[in-house]
Amino acid sequence: MSIARDHAPRARKRSLGRVFDAIGAENLSLIIALVILVALIASQSPAFFTSRNLFNIAQNMAVVGLVAVGMTMVIVSAGLDISAGSIAACAGVVCALIVTGSGTVLGGVAGGVATGAALGLVNAGIINYLKVNPVVATLATMSAFRGVAFLIAPEGKPVGVLDPTFALLGSGRLFQTEGFPGIPIAFAIMLAAVIVGHVVMSSTVFGRQIYSMGGNPAAARLAGIDLNRMRLAIYTLAGALSGLAGIIIAARTSSGQPLAGQDLALESITAVFLGGALLAGGKGTIAGTMLAVLLLAVLSNGMNLLGIPTFYQLVAKGLLLVVAVAIGQWRMTLAERRQSRLTAASS
Amino acid sequence: MSDPVLAVAGVGKTFPGVRALADVSLEVAAGEVVALVGENGAGKSTLLKILCGDYDLDEGRVRLAGREVSHASPFEARQAGFRLVRQEPEIVPDISAAENVFVGEYPRRRLGRVDHRAMRALMLGQLERYGFAGMVDPDALGRTLSPAQMHLVEIVRALKPGMKVVAFDEPTSSLTSDEVARLFALIRQLRAEGLGIIYVSHRLKEVLAISDRVVVLKDGRVTGSLRTRETDEDEIVRLMVGRELVHDFRRDETTRPEVVLEVEGLWSRWHRDVSFRIRAGEILGFGGLVGAGRTELAKVIFGEFPHSRGTIRILGRERTIRSPADAIASDIGFAPENRKAEGLILVRSVIENASMAVYRRLSRWGLLRDRMMLERVGPVIRALDVKTPSLAQEVSKLSGGNQQKVVLSRWLAAGPRLLILDEPTRAVDVGAKAEIYRLIDRLARDGMAIMLISSEMPELLALSDRIVVMANGRLSPVIEKKDATEEMIVSHALGKGLAA
Repeated sequence: MSIARDHAPRARKRSLGRVFDAIGAENLSLIIALVILVALIASQSPAFFTSRNLFNIAQNMAVVGLVAVGMTMVIVSAGLDISAGSIAACAGVVCALIVTGSGTVLGGVAGGVATGAALGLVNAGIINYLKVNPVVATLATMSAFRGVAFLIAPEGKPVGVLDPTFALLGSGRLFQTEGFPGIPIAFAIMLAAVIVGHVVMSSTVFGRQIYSMGGNPAAARLAGIDLNRMRLAIYTLAGALSGLAGIIIAARTSSGQPLAGQDLALESITAVFLGGALLAGGKGTIAGTMLAVLLLAVLSNGMNLLGIPTFYQLVAKGLLLVVAVAIGQWRMTLAERRQSRLTAASS
Repeated sequence: MSDPVLAVAGVGKTFPGVRALADVSLEVAAGEVVALVGENGAGKSTLLKILCGDYDLDEGRVRLAGREVSHASPFEARQAGFRLVRQEPEIVPDISAAENVFVGEYPRRRLGRVDHRAMRALMLGQLERYGFAGMVDPDALGRTLSPAQMHLVEIVRALKPGMKVVAFDEPTSSLTSDEVARLFALIRQLRAEGLGIIYVSHRLKEVLAISDRVVVLKDGRVTGSLRTRETDEDEIVRLMVGRELVHDFRRDETTRPEVVLEVEGLWSRWHRDVSFRIRAGEILGFGGLVGAGRTELAKVIFGEFPHSRGTIRILGRERTIRSPADAIASDIGFAPENRKAEGLILVRSVIENASMAVYRRLSRWGLLRDRMMLERVGPVIRALDVKTPSLAQEVSKLSGGNQQKVVLSRWLAAGPRLLILDEPTRAVDVGAKAEIYRLIDRLARDGMAIMLISSEMPELLALSDRIVVMANGRLSPVIEKKDATEEMIVSHALGKGLAA
């Protein structure tokens, strides 16, 4: 998108127009939706704009945000990773085992991330070499990896971690002062991943090739892009990020739980589509995805503040995914019609 | 003539970037054969697709036997009596020929069960009635049918009770002359039965032989409606092409001594012992029928398809090419025939599409350098005169000719020594066609070796320095430009081996 945006207008536009161009039409509608949502919730619940609550939102979006960065790459490449939550669970259990066994937090984190990467590699291998469609492949591994998480946890039970340093990953905070609750460490980790992810997607060869292969795999191949190698890298990266998310869940709950992260795939996939990605691939940005993650976090927080029962929230989450994809399809139809009209008018 | 059975009035249709049809009107009377002619992209297929309900029209009206069918679905168009014999029939591979004929309209018995016996009987009856008895077994599976038999199945599909207008889209492209004679007999019989016939073809001799009237389309508009008896080929061509006589394109030979590509004894699933060489600055034309193995040859050389034996040398060095990436590293470029399916990333920008084969060269430490991209690739796009509001424009929004120029700019940016062009002007309008010819000429003059695959005879003859013809996976001897004629290419293409 950086190319599309940065170099779009050759003629100088007015500054407001340039700001709009930099944000993009899709993201702009997300921002508007976010503002409306915030206004709505804040008007109903005075608790919303407390620093404590904002801290909670940041804390809560960290996990989904991490997964969504990887998911954006996967979906832009015209793939899907339904197994993200199961990968997170495996990584959380492995990490908890290492931390309790050896006492090194660093080792645990490395082990958890490596587990996530390895499972992502398995996904890519199934898609590449067994020629299984990504939806089916990761639906299968969603179940299989969940099973693995139970198998590696002794007796299938959550692995408790008492290490206080490890707990910081989940609930620690930076820059805390008297009036300011600080920034959650988990949120800072996510922010780092988001920034790196954005640079990768917008200005590296690897990132641009993800857009090419998602937009048209056959053409990308004929332009010299090795699709199998790309997929290995993309799913491995996504797996590693899911693993990192799983570690943060484990740190927050002080245990590696085989059942962790069951909503992760749904929430991150919803965010990616809501953020402007196309089901068919080739479109989507990290910035759009993160706006959508924020929107979802605010929505879920608002529903809690307003006391909406969990069951309704589940229904709402499901509906939201449908709406997100439908908006994308609708936008494409609109763009096509507008283009037809322009052509008709100009000839 | 009585009331027309089909009346098309003021029909217009626009796609993103292309005005496909504008104010098209034509009438077909019962018992009349109307030929529809025009160049690629003139709008013939679009009109047929509107008539059979694949596309919805934007403006105008269509009436069929007195019924309004302007916005008919495919099912409604069929119910109303419009039948299309497609150029490339959709044959379901794992059901019988008879079932293929009745797909979507199976005869039923009680309780909705499909009546297989009636299906066979009806199919055999139609074959008998129209002079095709014994040419296709109703029980044969779709996958076992020959191309001619598939076409026959497609024809019998159209011949159903209630048909009023039958349209044939390029019906003779996969037929031998004997089969063409049978087809003409069928069309005359249908005419005698009082049906309206639309006959779409590139082959003007056939058009003059079979039709009562000729309607000429050019760039989506009707440029002429002539009585066949009162016209001739020259007049039709003039109406088809208009002022721009692209086929008058001439170029001087620019071949240099240096051999760029040398293929020796190449065997593959599609090819038998293929050898040829292309020198710097030479355009080697590849003629042949559709399906003769030319596109496959291009893809074998480009590493997309495998070969079992043979060597490929670039500038005298033997290369192992196992993937398109290997080919690009060996200084080969390839603009495929189907640019939407294989050439372009439609949802991405012009500059991305033009740069994607050279991303590595435009980056340092894996980071793309946008300014370098604009400095190196931007001028290439401008030199090709791609008409686009900006380099960030999505490629799907450009016209066919400009899309093709974007594909070409990708390979110009890469600067290969050998460029393979597969049908470079397919679905490109006449003006852009001339520009693309000039561009190809310029590339050859600059010393690029060019492998040109084209099914358009005038194009092949105008651009090539030498021509080879592929038939059944083999290559004919090289035909020098001065000796090459359409007849000679056709006879090689049909595998009659008229050695030069």
